[in-house]
Amino acid sequence: MSRPTASPASGSPFTGTGDALRFALKRDRLLLPLCVLGLIGWVGLYVASYSGLYGTQADLNSLYQSVTGNPALVAMVGPTDGLRSLGGATAWETLPVVSVISAIFAMFVVVRHTRAEEEDGRSELLLAAGSGRLATLTATVVITAGALLLAAVGWYVVFLATGYEADSSLLLVAAILGVGLVFTGTTAICVQVTAKARTARGLVGIVIGLAYFLRALGDTGPDALAWLSPLGWAEKTKPFYDDQWWPLILPVGTTILTVAFALWLLERRDIGSGLIQPRPGPARAHPSLLHPLGFSLRVQRGSIIGWTYLLFVYGFAIGAVGNNIEGILESSTSLTAAFASASDNIVDSYFASIFTVLALMASGFAIGGVLRPHSEETHDRAALLMAGPLGKVRWALGHVLIAYVASAMMMALLGLGLGLGLGVVTGDFGELGTLVASGFAQAPAIWLTASLAVLLFGISSRASGAAWGLLVAFVVVWSIASFGDLPDWIVDLSPFSHIPAVPAVPLDATPLWIMTALSAVFTTAGMLLWRRRDLL
Amino acid sequence: MSAVIEVDGLVKDFGSTRALDGLDLTVEQGQVHGFLGPNGSGKSTTIRVLLGLIKASGGSARLFGQDPWKNAVTLHRRLAYVPGDVNLWPNLTGGETIDMLGSLRGGLDPKRRQDLIDRFELDLTKKASTYSKGNRQKVALIAALATDAELFIFDEPTSGLDPLKEAVFQECVKEITGEGHTILLSSHILGQVEHLADTLTIINSGKTVESGSIEDLRRLSHETSDPNQPASLEQLFLQVYEPK
Ligand SMILES: Nc1ncnc2c1ncn2[C@@H]1O[C@H](COP(=O)(O)OP(=O)(O)O)[C@@H](O)[C@H]1O
Ligand SMILES: [Mg+2]
Repeated sequence: MSRPTASPASGSPFTGTGDALRFALKRDRLLLPLCVLGLIGWVGLYVASYSGLYGTQADLNSLYQSVTGNPALVAMVGPTDGLRSLGGATAWETLPVVSVISAIFAMFVVVRHTRAEEEDGRSELLLAAGSGRLATLTATVVITAGALLLAAVGWYVVFLATGYEADSSLLLVAAILGVGLVFTGTTAICVQVTAKARTARGLVGIVIGLAYFLRALGDTGPDALAWLSPLGWAEKTKPFYDDQWWPLILPVGTTILTVAFALWLLERRDIGSGLIQPRPGPARAHPSLLHPLGFSLRVQRGSIIGWTYLLFVYGFAIGAVGNNIEGILESSTSLTAAFASASDNIVDSYFASIFTVLALMASGFAIGGVLRPHSEETHDRAALLMAGPLGKVRWALGHVLIAYVASAMMMALLGLGLGLGLGVVTGDFGELGTLVASGFAQAPAIWLTASLAVLLFGISSRASGAAWGLLVAFVVVWSIASFGDLPDWIVDLSPFSHIPAVPAVPLDATPLWIMTALSAVFTTAGMLLWRRRDLL
Repeated sequence: MSAVIEVDGLVKDFGSTRALDGLDLTVEQGQVHGFLGPNGSGKSTTIRVLLGLIKASGGSARLFGQDPWKNAVTLHRRLAYVPGDVNLWPNLTGGETIDMLGSLRGGLDPKRRQDLIDRFELDLTKKASTYSKGNRQKVALIAALATDAELFIFDEPTSGLDPLKEAVFQECVKEITGEGHTILLSSHILGQVEHLADTLTIINSGKTVESGSIEDLRRLSHETSDPNQPASLEQLFLQVYEPK
């Protein structure tokens, strides 16, 4: 990871790391600072909203009373032991979500500068110009770690400025930084494995999901499982109530090992290909490929299957645990309305919040899906199709509709997974229909979010990427609104605030129809604009 | 009878940069028309306007007498296009890609498809992600040449092919011109153009510099240079672009 010491003439694999570093920084001179500032500002918002919410010890005590030992919250966020102080409450709510976001950030930066560059054939140019084969990866790791470190310093300053205890604040930001670094190394490995940037991101996403899942299982069951997860390690530092520094050894060691392993793999593989070589396929096309819609479906197939599988399995696991929660809750009196504000049934409230979280996640799929025409455009494949007798709108709309149908389907299947998981454990499948409907009811918010992406795509190819910023904004609104304090009008800006908290409340379809209609309007507008604009 | 391609004073601006600045281009039915110009002179931009992929900022472009921007879908039934930089779907094999692209135009002639695959020696079972640039180009070439289009538009179609396959391409073009098809061939390989084209348009900085039959243009350069030597296209080319 250090700067190369060998002179360029020696042809060390690290030769040119400095150039690669400058090149990447120049390319991201705007994006990276913006992301780092965004990460800092987001935590700043959190902190500001807590100081208002939990300003007095009485507020904190009531928070503690309301959430302590609630296994649903423990599974979603983490153990509640530290909630008696403002620092502990802040750490409880920020550490898991900021850690996951840091991991996702690391994933995007590393893939963008390594596998994505290689896939587009640009890294060959650098290599041909005499750059060492490890230079780009080394520079990328340095840049990603640097950006994470800057964000961590920013968070630390935020905490200090708000009057949090210095040592514990440092431990908290170090724990989050550790997660980011571990996933920097993990992504560095994943980009060696597969030849495609998209698949590499999918792999890292699975690892992040697994880490979250192990942590949740460990916190609600056998503790050892949490120790298998980088998110568990961060949590085990217990900032602000039992400051433990030594678990930081784990992320530090893992980062070094993963980065070293990634470099080792990179030295041994061919440029342009992954460790997993694509197998030969059929010489003739399956009839389904010979129809434009069938072909678009094929292009999206991998991500549809992956996401559906993930949501279903996740739903099943949560459903199975859900019953467990009910059992514990019946014997627990410390539970108050904080979590189950809208319903007598705490499990249904828990499921409602799960639906919202996963609907936000599935919007990631939907945006990716409706923006397929955009990615075909930027990868210079669209012209090959659009030069044939295939209308621009017909083609793009096909992709959009596939993404809409698939996202609704996967949310319904998530509900099915929940119901089956619950049913297998309780033997009662009575909730199955309600849960499937509740999953499906999330679709309009997903469609509305994705239709805004369609609108941006219609405006210009360059504007399309802003859709991701929109999704991040909705996630931030949700995450702050669910724990902290935000003005109503800001909360109302997110489509996800308007989905009734089913299955905890009766389904009111009015907002769903309104959002569906709005999605249709934005989609139509996007398509009309797309028809009138140049192909990139 | 109107020309297959008629471009008149075509202007295309990308923001503040003017890519085409009053370009003229006429291609008659049955011609092989060479389209020459240095990198960045506007060949691909002209072709993208002709394909209706981008909208002209000024002047006119007509394909079979129609506006390519408005009538893209109907016009595309009559033409086949091969870009210079072919990018394919990484998960599809070459064979799947050829069939899929062919299906857009209602399917390929199976005999012709097989014949082209044999001549270009393409392994159809490989995923596109493992193809070299040349092999990706072969996929697009086979998918185009196996159609029965009236007009073929090639934008530097052989920049990744080895000399043997380049010769195969030239053979194929000769075959289809024998059948009365029209071809617009943008190229940076003078020998290729000299070998295949009947007529020629040379452009620079988005403007047409010379246009006419190859013979006329040879004669033109003849007069201005050494009268005893038959001019080659290369001389002509250098003469046009010689900074004066
Ligand atoms: N989408 C675009 N945006 C901005 N400039 C472009 C775009 N496409 C082409 N250009 C510019 O237009 C000019 C002509 O490019 P092009 O038609 O690709 O040339 P050629 O094919 O002859 O090499 C170049 O200066 C190029 O940079
Ligand atoms: Mg070009």
